[in-house]
Amino acid sequence: MKRAIAFALLAAVFATPAAAQSGDAKADLAKLKPKDFPTGPIEYTVVYPAGGGMDVTARLLAKHVEKWSGDKIVVNNRTGGAGMVGHSYLATQAKPDGYTVGVIANLMWGDAMLRAQGRWAYTDLEPIGYLNSDPLSWVGPTEGPYKDMTIKQMVQAAKDKPGTVRAATVPGSMWDYILDQVEANSGAKFLRVPFQGGGAGINALAGGNVDIAQGFYSEFRGLAEAGKVRPIGVAASERMSFLKDTPTINEALGGNEYQWIIIRFAVVPKGTPADRKAYLGAAVQAAMKDPELTAEYQKAGVYFDPKLTDASRMEASLKEYAEREREFYMKTGRLK
Amino acid sequence: MGLLSVEALGGLLTGFGVILTPENLYLCFLGSLIGTLVGVLPGVGPLAALALLLPITFTLSPVGGMVMLASIFYGAMYGGSTTSILLNIPGEAASVVTCIDGHQMAKQGRAGAALGIAAIGSFVAGTLGVIVMTFFAPAIAAVAIRFGPPENFALMVLGVVCTLFMITGSPVKGVLMMALGFLTAAIGIDVVNGRERFTFGSVNLSAGIELLAVVIGLFGLTEVLSNVEKVVKSTVVTDRIRGLWPSLADWRASWRPMLRGSGLGFVLGLVPGGGPVTASFMSYALEKRISAHPERFGKGAVEGVAGPESANNAAVAGSIIPVLSLGIPGNPVTALLLGALVIQGIQPGPLFITQRPDLFWGIVASMYVGNVFLLLLNLPLVGLWAQLLRVPYRVLFPVVLLLSMVGTYSANKNVFDLWVMLGFGIAGYVLHKLEYDLAPFVIAFVLAPLLEQSLRQSLAMSPDGAMIFVQRPGTALMLVASAVLVALMFRRKQKKSGGDL
Amino acid sequence: MIERTLNLFWILLGAAAAAYAWTLGIVGPSGPESGLFPFISALIILGAGVVLLLQRSGDAAVPDFPRGAALGRVLGVVAGLAFMAVSIPYLGFAVSGFITMIILLRAVEKSGWLFSIALAVASVAVVVGLFGHVLGMTLPRGPWGF
Repeated sequence: MKRAIAFALLAAVFATPAAAQSGDAKADLAKLKPKDFPTGPIEYTVVYPAGGGMDVTARLLAKHVEKWSGDKIVVNNRTGGAGMVGHSYLATQAKPDGYTVGVIANLMWGDAMLRAQGRWAYTDLEPIGYLNSDPLSWVGPTEGPYKDMTIKQMVQAAKDKPGTVRAATVPGSMWDYILDQVEANSGAKFLRVPFQGGGAGINALAGGNVDIAQGFYSEFRGLAEAGKVRPIGVAASERMSFLKDTPTINEALGGNEYQWIIIRFAVVPKGTPADRKAYLGAAVQAAMKDPELTAEYQKAGVYFDPKLTDASRMEASLKEYAEREREFYMKTGRLK
Repeated sequence: MGLLSVEALGGLLTGFGVILTPENLYLCFLGSLIGTLVGVLPGVGPLAALALLLPITFTLSPVGGMVMLASIFYGAMYGGSTTSILLNIPGEAASVVTCIDGHQMAKQGRAGAALGIAAIGSFVAGTLGVIVMTFFAPAIAAVAIRFGPPENFALMVLGVVCTLFMITGSPVKGVLMMALGFLTAAIGIDVVNGRERFTFGSVNLSAGIELLAVVIGLFGLTEVLSNVEKVVKSTVVTDRIRGLWPSLADWRASWRPMLRGSGLGFVLGLVPGGGPVTASFMSYALEKRISAHPERFGKGAVEGVAGPESANNAAVAGSIIPVLSLGIPGNPVTALLLGALVIQGIQPGPLFITQRPDLFWGIVASMYVGNVFLLLLNLPLVGLWAQLLRVPYRVLFPVVLLLSMVGTYSANKNVFDLWVMLGFGIAGYVLHKLEYDLAPFVIAFVLAPLLEQSLRQSLAMSPDGAMIFVQRPGTALMLVASAVLVALMFRRKQKKSGGDL
Repeated sequence: MIERTLNLFWILLGAAAAAYAWTLGIVGPSGPESGLFPFISALIILGAGVVLLLQRSGDAAVPDFPRGAALGRVLGVVAGLAFMAVSIPYLGFAVSGFITMIILLRAVEKSGWLFSIALAVASVAVVVGLFGHVLGMTLPRGPWGF
């Protein structure tokens, strides 16, 4: 008899319909709200300029967090130094009182390891919620001598005629790293043309000023749909659902080291009180469970890394990725 | 491909159908109003305003939101000239040049004329820009996309040469100021290879020196410090304000600069990294160069207001074309407009005009309407603004300084910028006393990063080194034009025999 | 006197900047390096400074720098703004702005105390309202919440 009751109770617990979410989720979130917090707007800091991919991600997030938590969120762009100014601000100047949340990407690790010069470390920013992942893609031209070539053929061309295939790059970032890898593994030599961001390089490609560009789906989608550029490879571990016909670079060139992905996540400065940190994290999680938000993100061509969507494994997985990046820097001599 | 006139007209009709609804008209008006206000406030420019107001567009329809944002953008170009003319404090970076002759006109009691010409020039340029946009946008976009680093470089060289024309007084001091501008622009991260230059370990310096802080300090604060010395003047203008309308002579002098400014501004708006700031001072340099009496410039020449104010408005139309026709932003403001579209779930790109003709043409039509609103809004305000000059200076300047501080702070939310502003204010005050021309510094500061970046990009992408500048026709043409201008400059100096160098 | 000091300053600045730029590298295998543009600019500054120093400025107007009360007013404005920049992080924008306004209003023409306080309060309130609420910008707050 007792067993039957226990069973029934268990069944009841597991059968609770998830569809009672809406009111429940808001209520759950409200339960976590610390006393006297927040009494003013919370700042979501974006370290890149307004209108860019990171900024759009942050604003969409803020919109939904506001919906679920009822708190006022203000998105603030603290730009400069290709993100360095904003990262330094979050790590060293922002008050850890729960009123500042950074919406950043794993590019922060590069800043922390290579450029912070000991002033701060990536562990000074504690992740509270994962947003999405965006793989770097290679795009090729639709006119000119390389117009129908696969990525393998273009790399071959760069090998046969070193220094003639023009590749757009953003110096000191994963754009450079992947070119380094390809060159090292294939003996090809690209003519690197520096730009301030992926988008600028893709525009140059569309205008015939470079032969290969690198960027994110949201940056080249419009031009690709219009036939001005075509994606030729994705630097991820498997094909993207929105680019089914584009091989991964690992597939095309062989090997598995061509994985360069932007991981976007929210952080708070170290030292933020635990209850506020938990609340802020829960607010982000609640927004991320909103199908409207995930749909809007997917339109921008991102994917969700299963290792990170699981909130219990997120911090550990991020740390794992960060340390893997550190290894890469040490292996390539960028870090001693 | 090229849009036939009939198709364009059809599209435009669609657009007007979209915009002429109470909601959209209201949003267009609201945006124009906010834009004007933002332009008037020193230091707060369209970028800050758009970034702050972006969340409001979430609750609006895509058309409504975009119309509002776009009208804030060009509205700011109308309002920006107000404090430039009245107080010699630029409303935003694109109105710096207007200070030079505009404020002199105000001091001569012709503030009304200056403000009126600025408003009308803005209207003419804005409207002409939209007309060209209507019929030629796709064709222009196809050409604009081919503009690569070598073309950018040649354009920047042209810009530098134009700046040389703007130098008044001692050429040695002028060139020194330009070189100083180049040097100051190098502070920060070298975008071409990611290295830090002249940052000395400071995080604040690694972001570079903020243009807005430089402009407000060098022009605004310098002006205040100079004025504050003298007790005698109790108001900015002691003469009676002579009428509020431009005279017939003003009109006759202005209409051609307005047209030239419109053309120049529009073309410069198309170029990535160009935009209203570059357009305004290249127009000034052009007018000065062409004028039969260039010595009038700097002393209240109305052409020095008509040209630049038209140019900066035309540049707005020019810079919106790549966004709407290609999905490519050329400057931070248009990047923000693009972001706003993406947030609404719309993908801008070459197919935008066919996928969402309602949105494309709605925005284009709104620009016609917006320019009309702005003209109707700004002209009556001329009288009001001119009255501002009657306020005793000792009351006026603290308020203006307070606004300037907030405006400067709004750029990066960084107190460091306030120090930059103060530092440049003091430096500008001293240099002004020692007869150094400050405008060339600012212009060189703006042009330097683009000049350097495009040079190094061009060399990086060229297998034949410097030959690339000759191989590409557009580039070669512009470089030859620059050389010709430099030669003309020397010839003119020679002609003015007896003038001291 | 000041003119000459300034010219010497240009020469020193040009020399120092050129030396620093040299360490950044001038020309490299892939074209100009980080130091090229600053190096050229610094040399121009250096050269211009030398030319200006050597020029005979016989008929140049003597710059009139303020003395006495006028100098006091200029320094008062500078001090006020410096105070604001220093104190904003600690006092918040509203209070800092208020005090600065008072300094400015009193330093230049000794506006009456009542008038100064009234104007200062009014303008700071309007600015904070306009920027903080209408435009939604986060202005720094002091320890007392505003």
